Amino acid sequence: MLNKSKLLSAAIVSVAAFATAPIHADTMGTPNISAMSVMNGLENPWDMAFTSGGDMFVTEKCKGLSVKTSSGAVNKLVGMKDAKGYASGNSDLFCSGQAGMMGVALDPNFNKNRRVYVASTSNKYHGSGCKDNFSKCDGNIIMRFEVSKDLKSVSNRVDIVKDIQYKPFESDHPFGGPGAHNGNRLRFGPDGYLWATTGDRHRGVVPQSPTLLGGNVLRIDTDGKAHPGNKPPKGFDKRMYTYGHRNVQGIDFRPGDGRAFTAEHGPWQNDEITALVNGGNGGWDPRPNVGGRGDCPDKYCGYMPNQKEGMLPAARASFMPMSDTRFKDLMPPAWNNNGLSQGTGSAAFLKGSNWGYWEGRMAVGIMGIGFGGTPSGMRIDVVDIAKDGQSIKSVIHMPTGLTKRFRGLRLGPDNALYAAVDEGEIYKITAEKP
Amino acid sequence: MKSHIIILANLLFFTFSNTAYSGDINAGEARYSQNCGNCHGPAGMGLASYPKIAGKEVAYLKDRLNTYRAGTKIGPNSSLMIMMAMPLTDDEIANLAAYLNAQTK
Repeated sequence: MLNKSKLLSAAIVSVAAFATAPIHADTMGTPNISAMSVMNGLENPWDMAFTSGGDMFVTEKCKGLSVKTSSGAVNKLVGMKDAKGYASGNSDLFCSGQAGMMGVALDPNFNKNRRVYVASTSNKYHGSGCKDNFSKCDGNIIMRFEVSKDLKSVSNRVDIVKDIQYKPFESDHPFGGPGAHNGNRLRFGPDGYLWATTGDRHRGVVPQSPTLLGGNVLRIDTDGKAHPGNKPPKGFDKRMYTYGHRNVQGIDFRPGDGRAFTAEHGPWQNDEITALVNGGNGGWDPRPNVGGRGDCPDKYCGYMPNQKEGMLPAARASFMPMSDTRFKDLMPPAWNNNGLSQGTGSAAFLKGSNWGYWEGRMAVGIMGIGFGGTPSGMRIDVVDIAKDGQSIKSVIHMPTGLTKRFRGLRLGPDNALYAAVDEGEIYKITAEKP
Repeated sequence: MKSHIIILANLLFFTFSNTAYSGDINAGEARYSQNCGNCHGPAGMGLASYPKIAGKEVAYLKDRLNTYRAGTKIGPNSSLMIMMAMPLTDDEIANLAAYLNAQTK
């Protein structure tokens, strides 16, 4: 039989135990997140690609392509104009403003064919174009190289796409310098084809153009030819999987059904995540004198109606919608960032049980652009997209502890999320089951 | 007596005008962190297509900010900078210039 003092002691111990126990024990499987820098001292790192063995290819916008091997060595492979120390010099590759060397992807058969694909700005195919901002300017290209087995050099450059549009001169717009809106993210889909994003390059007619490559998602083979199943409207370039975009910089494929989703950067309103439909229209049409709009500065309405001062994002959206419902083939966005534009720069679906109940959700990198009263919001969002791709079920901020301009996201072969930030670093973001 | 007053007035003038001219680095850092760093990066290091502004001369920084505040275009991203500079006071411009000038990395 217990005496009173023992009972009292037991009660105190019990109360103390409850008092020190977590009051919000996680029963959902929320992963524990940690982040560590794995590369620093970079200059505008833009994108990464991994071999199955963990070698990481990295692009720097004004320098070129390097690889950090799994043993830790960094080999400079494809250099741009004036870049020093690279195994391969390429004087036609240049950077200007937002443009430069951007997306990188490895061939699904890389272990056998050693092929790497790189998107970059180039002056090689300007030809008689590029004389002003209102004519054709073939200034963004996609190249294919073969990487040596020791990962120290490249050879056999082949330019598989030569006619993606580029903005050659300054214009009267915010972010109005040359080189605006190139897209240029590269990813291989589960179908084994290369998907390439492009941008509107601040030219009003480009996104809805049947022939100019810009404001599209392209689906091509490794020689640059159209996927035979692409279904753009009649008379359109067959390389287009979708058209009518503004500046797509994030694309990835949902585990399970393989469906392509884009994360797209809005003007001063409405960043968007969109489930792509073969032949679909993103609904971006910044031409003057259509959709109820009149003339616009330099024939581009993308920042109107008031491009120089902050105003209500919803008022902007009604004047210059990211997804214009005039189009019958519109792909409606699943998410629009609560009507704000903060700069969705990249996206990657989370794979692996280490992500807990976040597995299968989309991580979206937000660069943080705060104009006109919009909070900058540098972060990575974790977005749970509905099965039909028409809406989201939830969005939360990943607790990385980082406040950076998240430019490029890519899942590594270790199921960690790698993030390139404009500040010149690459972070490895690790998830562990609680 | 009159000469003493003149000396004192001159002393006060130069003291305060000099303070306003050189700016407050800490106040500049606080103002910079509100929104400048979103584009120009930590301590003005420059990011993406936004130029490095760390370590620039005070006179240059003040002149640029005053020019933007007046609504004058001086480069491709002028529209953005004009919008950001419009609300700045003279003291805030001086503080920002002092802070950025002191960033020498």
